[in-house]
Amino acid sequence: MKYHITLLIELKDGILDPQGRAVEGVLQGLEYPVENVRVGRVLEMELEAQSEAEARATAHQIGKALANPVMEVFLVEAVKELA
Amino acid sequence: MKVAVVQFPGSNCDQDAVWALQMVGLKAELVWHTETHLEGFQAVLLPGGFSYGDYLRAGALAKFSPVIQEVRRLAEQGYPVVGICNGFQVLTEAGLLPGALLANTNLHFTCKEVFLRVERTDLPFTGSYKPGQVVRIPIAHGEGRYYADAKTLEALEQNRQVVFRYCPPENAPLEVSYNPNGSLNDIAGIVNQRGNVLGMMPHPERAVEEMLGSADGLPFFTSLKRALEVVA
Repeated sequence: MKYHITLLIELKDGILDPQGRAVEGVLQGLEYPVENVRVGRVLEMELEAQSEAEARATAHQIGKALANPVMEVFLVEAVKELA
Repeated sequence: MKVAVVQFPGSNCDQDAVWALQMVGLKAELVWHTETHLEGFQAVLLPGGFSYGDYLRAGALAKFSPVIQEVRRLAEQGYPVVGICNGFQVLTEAGLLPGALLANTNLHFTCKEVFLRVERTDLPFTGSYKPGQVVRIPIAHGEGRYYADAKTLEALEQNRQVVFRYCPPENAPLEVSYNPNGSLNDIAGIVNQRGNVLGMMPHPERAVEEMLGSADGLPFFTSLKRALEVVA
């Protein structure tokens, strides 16, 4: 079966995110009442697996391979079976 | 004595590195990143550039290149391994050096000369410098802010693993800002605990003759040559 995976990679809390700060400055300039803006990454992919559990486990391995544990955390945000 | 200079797709300081190594009389050969055998080489240099276009993160995809297994083997066997700029990013991503290199605090790609203090001269990369010598060498990076957690940072300092530190030029006024990227502890270059794997953001290969604006990078390469001669 084929699954659609959404993987999030974000900077750990406490790590200075100058990109987030720049975005925050712009949003505040537009008078949105925001703070603590952080910029992360979204990876989407389709993968072949026997079950949803297997797809999730593989997605977890991929997250581990791609995220840098020194400053990032990852999250398997969604696993959807494709028709 | 032969030094391998690894070319990743997107490397762009490889030829400069070969030039600098050859200037001091070392043999240098370009090696494509899919290479799986580095027998016969006594040192490896991972050059600057934008391996894999810096996609995902600088150095994050290059760490999966086949040649990295061989770089790891040579590092474990005690051969000198150097990563300059993107090469430093690759070494941290591959776990051969601690910490990580994040986006410069000011978000600018910064290309300019900086001043560095040589903190250690007992290494194969720095033997030709004087202890505490301040050198002028260019940087060119967007992700050079050295980061490590507090515990790692303390261990680096305790083990004297910081080799190059951004510093003000001699006789500069106290308020001069000299850290170009927000690196913790002004770190510009570090070694592993054993002292044979070095990563640095500045480019010594771009400062090997006065015509380039500075020759302060030349001793880096003469140091390496002297170290390799001792081993041979």
